Amino acid sequence: MNFSSRGTRADYDVPGGNIEITFHAPRAYIKLQLCCMVCCLFATASAFAAEPVQLTQDGSLKRDPRFVDGGRSVVYCYDETPALVRMMKLPLNDKVARPVFEDAADKHHYEPAFSPNGKWISFTACTGNLSGKLVIRNLESGEQADITHKGRGGTRSPAFSPDSQRVIYAFAEKGPQQLWSVKTDGTDKQQLTTCSGVSNWPTFTPDGRTIVFSNSREKNYEIYSVGTDGTGERRLTNNTLMDIRPAVSPDGRQIAFVSTRTGNYDIFLMNIDGSHVRQITTSEERDDYPNWHPNGEQLVIVSEQDGAFDLYLIDATQERNVAGR
Amino acid sequence: MLDFGSYAAASCSGTSRRAFIRTSAAVPAMMSAGLPAMAEIEQARRRAKAKSVILLWLWGGPSHLDMVDPKPDAPDDFRGPFGTIATRTTGMHFTELLPRMAARSDRYTVIRSMQTTNGGHPGAGTVGVTGFEEKPGPVQPNFGAIVAKDRGQQEALPPFFYVGRGIPRDLPRRIEGYGGGTLGKAYDPFLVHCSDRGDVSIPTLKMLPNMSPNRIEDRRTLEKALDVERYRLDSAELERWGQTYQSAYGLLTDEKARVAFDLTRESQKTRSSYGRTTFGQGCLLARRLAQAGVPYVQVNWSEYVETFTPNGDFGWDTHIYNFELLQDRHCPIFDRAYSALLDDLHNSGMLEDTLLVAMGEFGRTPKISTRASREHWQHCYFSLWAGAGVEPGRCIGQSDAKAEYPVTRPVTPLMTGTTMMELCGIGAKERAEMKVLDGGSIIDELF
Repeated sequence: MNFSSRGTRADYDVPGGNIEITFHAPRAYIKLQLCCMVCCLFATASAFAAEPVQLTQDGSLKRDPRFVDGGRSVVYCYDETPALVRMMKLPLNDKVARPVFEDAADKHHYEPAFSPNGKWISFTACTGNLSGKLVIRNLESGEQADITHKGRGGTRSPAFSPDSQRVIYAFAEKGPQQLWSVKTDGTDKQQLTTCSGVSNWPTFTPDGRTIVFSNSREKNYEIYSVGTDGTGERRLTNNTLMDIRPAVSPDGRQIAFVSTRTGNYDIFLMNIDGSHVRQITTSEERDDYPNWHPNGEQLVIVSEQDGAFDLYLIDATQERNVAGR
Repeated sequence: MLDFGSYAAASCSGTSRRAFIRTSAAVPAMMSAGLPAMAEIEQARRRAKAKSVILLWLWGGPSHLDMVDPKPDAPDDFRGPFGTIATRTTGMHFTELLPRMAARSDRYTVIRSMQTTNGGHPGAGTVGVTGFEEKPGPVQPNFGAIVAKDRGQQEALPPFFYVGRGIPRDLPRRIEGYGGGTLGKAYDPFLVHCSDRGDVSIPTLKMLPNMSPNRIEDRRTLEKALDVERYRLDSAELERWGQTYQSAYGLLTDEKARVAFDLTRESQKTRSSYGRTTFGQGCLLARRLAQAGVPYVQVNWSEYVETFTPNGDFGWDTHIYNFELLQDRHCPIFDRAYSALLDDLHNSGMLEDTLLVAMGEFGRTPKISTRASREHWQHCYFSLWAGAGVEPGRCIGQSDAKAEYPVTRPVTPLMTGTTMMELCGIGAKERAEMKVLDGGSIIDELF
């Protein structure tokens, strides 16, 4: 991210308490002080529009932030040790991160996805050497379905359908990595695509009619959309460097994604049809893993600042137009 | 190898460096033929450029195609998903995963024609850092052990360090060539670990509660802690303990050594430039150790080769998630740390007499596997060379259209070790006396 603030200070009154935010430029270090408990911070999230807000401070390697609880918490994964990636939940009121699962033991957990009805979580779990298994767990009962395929291999990037009935994900069973779909109870596993290249990061549009994903058939990752019935595939990006991790906005009108087209990992937005590409972050360091806040105006991302990785809340309404797709 | 035909062995200004190195590398053969070249050997020693060697050991086998030897025109099932970017070296492209390194390619040289003899991790690991197979044995010394024997211990700092979590291994076993080999255990590496926050710990002192280099305020503090441990141990353990901790004891009570371990003496800007990762901070520690006079430091990317296993620390053995892990984790970390180390050595003037080498034990299959990843591939891989007289900004060696095999002279680990030693002033005579690196030749294209 590029923090362009020149040193400002703002006080916001929000339900439940007073928040003091101090921005220190030019090092772009942002200090967030919660003067008292804030219960409904993101009910007024649009008040923070212009400036990024740093949500974590520890700097350890992080990935896969996801808003949950209506935007009141963020679940993410981080390197707890050099040999363990743990999934954590960070309530945005007290900012005390806690493990999502106490039974994770020594297993890496990656790429969480939450069903729209709040009932399910799906993620990739490392259950053995060279084995990444898709897990779909009922958050209430704790019962889970483990989705396995033949032989060794790893599932990637689960996402729930808008009706919370199915999970789509990426897996390579017999060759090129394809998109798959399975019911939340682990039955009815289906291969959705048969394309060349590597397919990854599938996600649904809110109406459930379209899947947006990345594929590398054109010599690098580009973003495509295709109807859930397999028809009407459309290429949305077109450049020589990667466009990955598409995330469709809650209103279905925009796609946030990551691209290296500017020389490193930055966050971009485009319209759902691939038009009007805008660059959101411009730092020389890495900005990655965008996820939409339910308000549709903000993103949580992992941003590398001075070599440290933390979660930041950024404004998705300000934009810089970028030529081309 | 004598090669007077391709290069001018002598000119009006005397023996060329390239021809000279070739000649001195061939001395064991010459000696057996009754042609000693002691003057040349002595000259080599005088010309030695490397006070220190830093080896970045990319344990597990990084994918050459997805990093420094992309093949964008190869078929779908070979080329991988990454775009390519230009480097500062004419005609050389990297994948988009290494932008910082691409912008600095004028400061180092890439070898794209590495080849080794072993396709399994521990075996290839031993070949990679000794030049020879483990069997039939005896196991040969690690390159660092050869330097350690030649230089000896200067003051408290051991001459051969491992920076990392442990001796490189896979799940079944560690590599045999990690240490002194035929030179003896006295030349084994001294292991230190550096966390992503820059905290340095010495695993051999884990028995001492709450003990770390930064906590040793004076000799008395350490002696008190050590006495407690002595009391706790029985006599047999005590003897072993005494040997194990003798060097650590001296190390922690030596001011120069403690300073070398203290990364807080670096500016925040410098520490940040390496990245707040264990590998990044480990590279910074390696630079500080070299600066303090340690002649050989091997920074291990990971302890385990396995990239995705419970308790594994994400080695480069990407049988699954190859593309995802390179893109998400490995390459951004390596790109940043390598570039920072290169900048640091360059800006401080240390690159003049520090040899920086980065490599793994092999590459990965050019043909993408049915799991959309890459398996082991010993027939073609890469290494990176900088400093100590290596001519920078070049690409040496060439792989074929699918990066399966070198189409130029293969460069082997034995040649790697021989070249390292030559640059350290450990010429053919010394190597012959130590009975190491027999038959090795110089990678003369580097000079």
